Amino acid sequence: MVNENLVKDVVKEPYKYGFVTDIETEKIEKGLNEDIIRLISQKKEEPKFLLDFRLKAFKKWQKMKEPDWAGLGYKKIDYQDIIYYSAPKQKQKISSLDEVDPKLLETFDKLGIPLTEQKKLTNVAVDAVFDSVSIATTFREELAEHGVTFCSISEAVKNHADLIEKYLGTVVPASDNYFAALNSAVFSDGSFVYIPKGVTCPMDLSSYFRINSGDSGQFERTLIIAEESSSVSYLEGCTAPMFDTNTLHAAVVELIALDDASIKYSTVQNWYAGDEEGIGGIFNFVTKRGKCLGKRSKISWSQVETGSAITWKYPSCLLLGEESVGEFYSVALTNNLQQADTGTKMIHIGPKTKSTIVSKGISAGNSKNSYRGLVKMGTKASGSRNYSQCDSMLIGDQASANTFPYIKSQQPNSEIEHEASTCRISEDQLFYLQSRGIEFEEAVSMMVSGFCRDVFNQLPMEFAAEADKLLALKLEGSVG
Amino acid sequence: MEIIEKIKTNKSTDNLTEIQKICLDKLQSSPLPNPKSEQWRLSNKSKFSNFLNYSVNEKNPKFDIPFPNTSRSSIRLVIGDDCQINLIEENYSIKQLSEDKLVKYLKEQISYFDQNENWSDLLNLSLNCTKNTLGLKITGSEIPPIEIFSHASSNSLNAKTLVIFLEKNCDIDLLQINLGKDNSSLSQSTFFCLEENSSVNHGIVSYGENKSNLLKSLNVIQQKNSEYNLGSLHFKFNYARFEIRIKQSEGNAKTNIKGMQITKKDEQISTYTKIDFNGPNGFLDQINKSLADDKSHAIFEGSIIVPKIAQKTDASQLSRNLLLSNLAQIDTKPQLEIIADDVKCKHGATISQLNEEELFYMRTRGITLTEASKLQLSSYFQEIISFIPVSKDRWDLLDKLLNEK
Repeated sequence: MVNENLVKDVVKEPYKYGFVTDIETEKIEKGLNEDIIRLISQKKEEPKFLLDFRLKAFKKWQKMKEPDWAGLGYKKIDYQDIIYYSAPKQKQKISSLDEVDPKLLETFDKLGIPLTEQKKLTNVAVDAVFDSVSIATTFREELAEHGVTFCSISEAVKNHADLIEKYLGTVVPASDNYFAALNSAVFSDGSFVYIPKGVTCPMDLSSYFRINSGDSGQFERTLIIAEESSSVSYLEGCTAPMFDTNTLHAAVVELIALDDASIKYSTVQNWYAGDEEGIGGIFNFVTKRGKCLGKRSKISWSQVETGSAITWKYPSCLLLGEESVGEFYSVALTNNLQQADTGTKMIHIGPKTKSTIVSKGISAGNSKNSYRGLVKMGTKASGSRNYSQCDSMLIGDQASANTFPYIKSQQPNSEIEHEASTCRISEDQLFYLQSRGIEFEEAVSMMVSGFCRDVFNQLPMEFAAEADKLLALKLEGSVG
Repeated sequence: MEIIEKIKTNKSTDNLTEIQKICLDKLQSSPLPNPKSEQWRLSNKSKFSNFLNYSVNEKNPKFDIPFPNTSRSSIRLVIGDDCQINLIEENYSIKQLSEDKLVKYLKEQISYFDQNENWSDLLNLSLNCTKNTLGLKITGSEIPPIEIFSHASSNSLNAKTLVIFLEKNCDIDLLQINLGKDNSSLSQSTFFCLEENSSVNHGIVSYGENKSNLLKSLNVIQQKNSEYNLGSLHFKFNYARFEIRIKQSEGNAKTNIKGMQITKKDEQISTYTKIDFNGPNGFLDQINKSLADDKSHAIFEGSIIVPKIAQKTDASQLSRNLLLSNLAQIDTKPQLEIIADDVKCKHGATISQLNEEELFYMRTRGITLTEASKLQLSSYFQEIISFIPVSKDRWDLLDKLLNEK
């Protein structure tokens, strides 16, 4: 017989990244209006086209209504009570990491992010974003040798304005949805990646997002362009301190893959989720979308979602190019009063396109975990295939697990398969493991890990270890 | 608003029954379903307004039943035919529900209605007069199979309501047939109440003719240890919408549903199901099949709700779809909402065309492509048709489907 309380104890594990870095920051006043947008644009010394892009998005946002179809119950967000730009004060130009405020380096050190020289051995290039600005990007010279551009989006606006103008907003238009419009109007920083024709990126690229300030929102924007026959693997990690207020995070990620290019985008999202009573936590409203423009291009999303009070996120693929491939692998874990509404959209437009969806949801406590996905076969998607699998695991009888797949086909010569199931940690299996001398906590961990294996197998090495550890932390104390 | 005006102009307000008044009141606040809601989002707007376009008709002209004559062993009833039934036999009895009971029951049901979800029922009950309502109370065992017809007459909108109470330990086979005539709309609502240990094999066959429309809803309440088996088939309607709402009020009940919809030309047929488990040990096995050809559109949306109280629920839902033309489309959305943790729930959905390998195999054996496709289709249909009670032996539904132009 499973001891209910034991499971509850196991599920309770404090948030380890909840500290605040005491650093002098430059903030602008609260509120959102045209002047604020002009101010952000001016601070970042942006060209006119970008300011116009922002203002147009703002106009559209004003006319839009906050979506409520996901049925997420949360306190109304006062958009005038948010600071839209906050940056740690430091010297204007940084030539080497030694000039970065040591406090900032210490922060990322604590989070286990390899920014300092001695950690470069890990061979992952990192772009670290602190509140509204990118503070450091490592391995730039090495990447430049291969022609790879990896920098913050503000730098890209200055140095690669043509690419920004050509691609920004082409995958996620400003009017796409309420939060994308908000992001388009006020986005502060984020990463920009450009992989030239025929280049396989020599190392994994990584962005690390840290929200430090309690009253400012984070609105980052990521743009990745993979030219013909190139490939890149990109990792993204997120943490935030513990505040008893809710912080808004509304990001936009756009991926573009041309002929034969491949992009792998992995996320471990561990924003602060609020306490047991649901006080505080990040509201995570993210629009992520990839466009497989070229023939035989491939975009693969993998994500481990464990944090945030509210997650509203549907990384999608627009499969335009012939024989292009979209993939989505996701693990979402919710506990206490967390709510996660996540899934994907696979829009098959071109012929012979293929997509795979594997989603694993684990709900514990009083949380709500929903998979919401769309698979659409357009009239020209002849010979296309989709396979989706959504599994939910329930821990305790207070949590809810929902599955809402929308499936639409207009092409007879295509195949769609979807399956979903629900299970719980089986008493028989637990008993068996325990009878073999395995501790209860470890047994739970093994079963959760086994449940998520299909997804973990898809994560890059660095992340797979981190993800396993993260779930272990969230679910079973020190054992892992 | 038009629809309310239509009902009112058809009758002076004094003549409205109590139920009609309640429903009209409810409709007053939102006369039409919300087109943005999940339940109505995909509904073809012009076809739906066409449904409401006909004038309300309370009279029931004679009609020819396109199905074989009743055999001696079965009971045939036509809603609206002034049929008085009061059968008291040795083993069983089938009695008409008294008007008081009927009104009381319907009033209670209406109080649970959701304006959007039960819009079809609200429309049905606000249109309906007592004459077109059939209420039955069935008790006993060894009851002969029952056939109940609802039909629409040409160029008009007809509403028919059926209420059935199945008393304890009762066991019946019931076939419901909905017929649409040229240019007609039929609104049919059925309310079914299964008491403890009762069991029903319920068949629904809806068969339309040119430009006929159907709005059919089925509300079932199952008490414990009851078993409800439903086989349904909808075809040849210009616009048809079939809503199934089943509630296992105390759990411990069994539900089996096998449904099929076939669309051709520019037809749109949709099925919406909602299964609510309100107690432990519930069982559901559901399969819904669609076939869409030409420029037609088939829709399936099924939701399974398992609240905390419904531990040990075992529910499965499968949506299988065949898309046979470049211009046709299929939407399917199976849904699970689960809170109880000790449950077995699963769903699946597939959309494809006829299996090419199987077709190829049959052709290598000398079977023509047309024959081979027919063979495949017949096995696809047969699973559902064999589940429809009463009809399967006497009525050649399979032939009808395969040879339908």
